[in-house]
Amino acid sequence: MDGASETKTTKEKNRPQSWLSVLKSMQFSFVLLFIIVAACIAGSVIPQGASEAVYRQMYGNTWAKIIVELNLDHIFTCWWFVLLTALLCVNLILCSVSRFPAVLRAWKSSGRKNIGMWGSWITHLGLLLLIISFATGQYTSREETVYGIAGSTQPLGNTGLLVTIDSFKASLREDYTVEQYTAGLTVTDQQGNKKSGSASVNHPFDAFGYSFYQDSMGWASYVDIYKSGDLAKTDLICAGEYTFPNDLPSLVLLFNKFYPDLDRSEDGGYYSRTPLLNNPHFLYTVYYNGSVLGMGLAAPGTSIDCNEYSFIMRDPCEYTLIVAKYDPLSWMLGVSALVLLAGLFISFYVKPWEKKRSKHEG
Amino acid sequence: MKDSILGNIESIGFMAALVLYFAGSVLYFVYAGTKKEKAARIGYVLVFAGLAVHTVCIIARGINAGRLPLTNQFEFASAFAWGIALCFLVFVKKFSFDALGMVVAPLVFLVAGYAFMQNREINSLMPALQSGWLGFHVCTAIVAYGSFGVAFGVAVFFLLKGKIKGQLMERVPDEKTLDNIIYRAVALGFLFLTLCMITGAIWAKRAWGSYWNWDPKETWSLITWIIYAIFLHLRLRGTVSGRKAAILALIGFICVIFTYVGVNLLLPGLHSYASA
Ligand code: HEM
Repeated sequence: MDGASETKTTKEKNRPQSWLSVLKSMQFSFVLLFIIVAACIAGSVIPQGASEAVYRQMYGNTWAKIIVELNLDHIFTCWWFVLLTALLCVNLILCSVSRFPAVLRAWKSSGRKNIGMWGSWITHLGLLLLIISFATGQYTSREETVYGIAGSTQPLGNTGLLVTIDSFKASLREDYTVEQYTAGLTVTDQQGNKKSGSASVNHPFDAFGYSFYQDSMGWASYVDIYKSGDLAKTDLICAGEYTFPNDLPSLVLLFNKFYPDLDRSEDGGYYSRTPLLNNPHFLYTVYYNGSVLGMGLAAPGTSIDCNEYSFIMRDPCEYTLIVAKYDPLSWMLGVSALVLLAGLFISFYVKPWEKKRSKHEG
Repeated sequence: MKDSILGNIESIGFMAALVLYFAGSVLYFVYAGTKKEKAARIGYVLVFAGLAVHTVCIIARGINAGRLPLTNQFEFASAFAWGIALCFLVFVKKFSFDALGMVVAPLVFLVAGYAFMQNREINSLMPALQSGWLGFHVCTAIVAYGSFGVAFGVAVFFLLKGKIKGQLMERVPDEKTLDNIIYRAVALGFLFLTLCMITGAIWAKRAWGSYWNWDPKETWSLITWIIYAIFLHLRLRGTVSGRKAAILALIGFICVIFTYVGVNLLLPGLHSYASA
């Protein structure tokens, strides 16, 4: 609402319209924006998505209760934040609709057509489109993940697509820092159509409507489980995962961590000197019925014995985690952003500056 | 440092820029005390020289690192000071407002000093940071922060104008002009902050697959953006005094600083690697 049209509406006399004029007023935008700012501050200070126990530990019982009751643990997706955003959109729509005739009239009656008159109108339109496309994007997008070592093939959730990891490579610089992670992928759809390409950080690979992102990597190990000297099972597990003999599931080997180039620091702690496989060791823990039987470091091929069972961890290899995103409306966000930017530019720089000053400050 | 000659140019250059910014600030204070135009003119030249040396130093670092030198806390603080200095020089010339130097030249010195205290080692970039969009993202942030820094400086004068009487304030333009400069600076900053957020979102999409994750840095840039949007609207309403608008310009810049420094120190998030 700009000042001119607001003074014309005699609010008190025109009761039925008053709620509408509140909804479209700039005061209402200020109120909404201040609450949104307050919510954003709360959302950046309070860790999001933690459990009530965590809040209890951090802030005490009363505050933890308040945080959970008011949805402050997931502010940006909670109902009242969505409601505030929706109200801001209503506010913007009403304000833009009610201003439209005046702007159009001014545009028609002006001799030299100056697009600057439309600047703030276009800005608001861009903003509205941006919020709407972001919100619809939240509901129309999908995300799936797969992880595995080179050579493995897995279904991508229940999308009907199959993802084969053809290769995976971490390219290192001279100082052993990682320059790039690259996964070679082949995606196969239900009809058997294939598409191959590579996904590296900042360069996703697109296939069948999905974008495949190289997300992260880790180490995996083959584990041979022997019973009384005979091979009973071979498994492939990633760091953080576990395995067990099929006939004795209560005996568990957990693969805690992998050191490609094991060394000891001065304070006695273990670390990996380089990411190269110069002195590989697995850190493992063995559990029986939930209690720790033992923990240790094993070089590949070393036997970890527990009575008649023994585990041999071998052939460490890197696995990659691939995230696949389906986001059919992302082009809408792009268009909205362009409209918003164009609107801002027109508002600030196309409208003749002197005219604007005399209008607002005169 | 990789190449020692370039490394030396960079460190000596940065020290020299810091000294020049400091000397410039001192001369602007002399100007404030003595009202001698000459002091302001020399102050301007010193900040200008500081900016020139600073530019050489950023270029040397860029060549030495083989990438845009805009990725860690030191590099961004340095570029932030550079952006404020540049916007300051442009606005002082455009609006013939020498007194601005009393607030903004020390601000440039402080931000450059903050940079000086950071780790200046050239580190290799993790894969996520190797993106052209990151370059756009940071360059637009520099212009945005620089303009908001200038708006902050002018807003300080606006608020002092009624309070302090005497010689010093005679050099400060009238309230209408001050209000106008604040508006122009915020408008430029707002356009570039919007660009910065959009290019950041595109980069996040390319690197992590989603545009916006509500990590504290993103959230605080949104807060800053909303504060300046409120500023722009308050100014449009005849009923609101320039004072309120100037206060919002101050609050906006405090948000800028918090987004940049406070978030890294106090709040965890995706952007925290930038503090490396
Ligand atoms: C955070 C969201 C918003 C942003 C970023 C925004 C942005 C802008 C910009 C950039 C201008 C032009 C300012 C200038 O030329 O100096 C403007 C003007 C204006 N805005 Fe907003 N706006 C927002 C929300 C709203 C809302 C919700 C309303 C509805 C009440 C509103 C009503 C107006 C009006 C009436 C003008 C003046 C138009 C003119 O005189 O040309 N704005 N807005």
